[in-house]
Amino acid sequence: MPAAEVAARVRESLQSVKAADLKDAQLMEVLRLAQQLTDTMQMFFGSLDRSIHTEFNAIAAYIARTRDEIAQLRPNDIKEQRIPVAGAELEAVVGDTEKATETIMSQAEAVMMMDASDPAAYKDAVDEAMTKIIEACAFQDLAGQRVSKVVSSLKHIEERVGRFAATMGVLDADATEAEREEAERRNKLHLNGPALGGPETGQDDVDALLGMDQDAIDALFD
Amino acid sequence: MAVEMNMPILVVDDYKTMVRIIRNLLKQIGFENVDEASDGAEAFEMMKKRKYGLVISDWNMEPMTGYELLQKVRADEAVKSTPFIMVTAESKTENVIAAKKAGVNNYIVKPFNAGTLKAKMSAVIGEF
Repeated sequence: MPAAEVAARVRESLQSVKAADLKDAQLMEVLRLAQQLTDTMQMFFGSLDRSIHTEFNAIAAYIARTRDEIAQLRPNDIKEQRIPVAGAELEAVVGDTEKATETIMSQAEAVMMMDASDPAAYKDAVDEAMTKIIEACAFQDLAGQRVSKVVSSLKHIEERVGRFAATMGVLDADATEAEREEAERRNKLHLNGPALGGPETGQDDVDALLGMDQDAIDALFD
Repeated sequence: MAVEMNMPILVVDDYKTMVRIIRNLLKQIGFENVDEASDGAEAFEMMKKRKYGLVISDWNMEPMTGYELLQKVRADEAVKSTPFIMVTAESKTENVIAAKKAGVNNYIVKPFNAGTLKAKMSAVIGEF
């Protein structure tokens, strides 16, 4: 119940007691004090009400804005559609690639083991194997289309998450202990993965590095 | 000393297709006695049971990487002299240097061809 309403009820009760025309002076004095206390309390709680009301309004507005931004983020669409579909597309790419690789490798291995003593039969068999290899390369078209869909989903998510973070002023939390340990392990074991755009150090440069003595290598880092 | 073409070679890679590619390339250049392991831990156990003339290992594998395998091999008296070639997509300079410091005999950057594999094997085990 709001403070103003409580005060009004207390005041009403006091008026009712006063109206009863009580003769006891001490009791009347207590009633007067009670009324003064009630009026004072009303002012105090009234000011509290106003500041709390302002705070709650601000919080409610923030919650409404957050809810709108989360709705714009479309988290259910991301969670139930885009991420699962992207995962399924990537699994399909892996599956298609494995299937094509298996076909290509098997045909190549078969050609390497063929008996070439009969040139005509050998040519027919090689032509057949090459046709199968060429057919298997069709996976690249499908894989390209699947990966394009995944890239499109990632861009969609990136755009929405970026907008949400910017609007809400979200700052990145520190990495968890497990994440820090994993990063440290990968750093210690030099697990960098393949470089984009080809090897960062080509075979000739690798050969040169292997041929250098340790002092010369250390000098590269001075 | 002539290279024993029937010497056992251990190929370590968690990607079956790459093992198959290396096995085919080795066959093409005359080596058919090839064993396979899918990570460093399995490879090390196999090395304790059989003496290999050469180890050809990927770097990035779980749970034990090729780099850890190399360190473990060089620290173990029984197998420390086994020739070791790293075949990997890890192409940062720091990787090459770390491998060299750990005692790798040669280092091949993926993707590679039969010519590169043969040249690096020759540099490690001798001309064949």
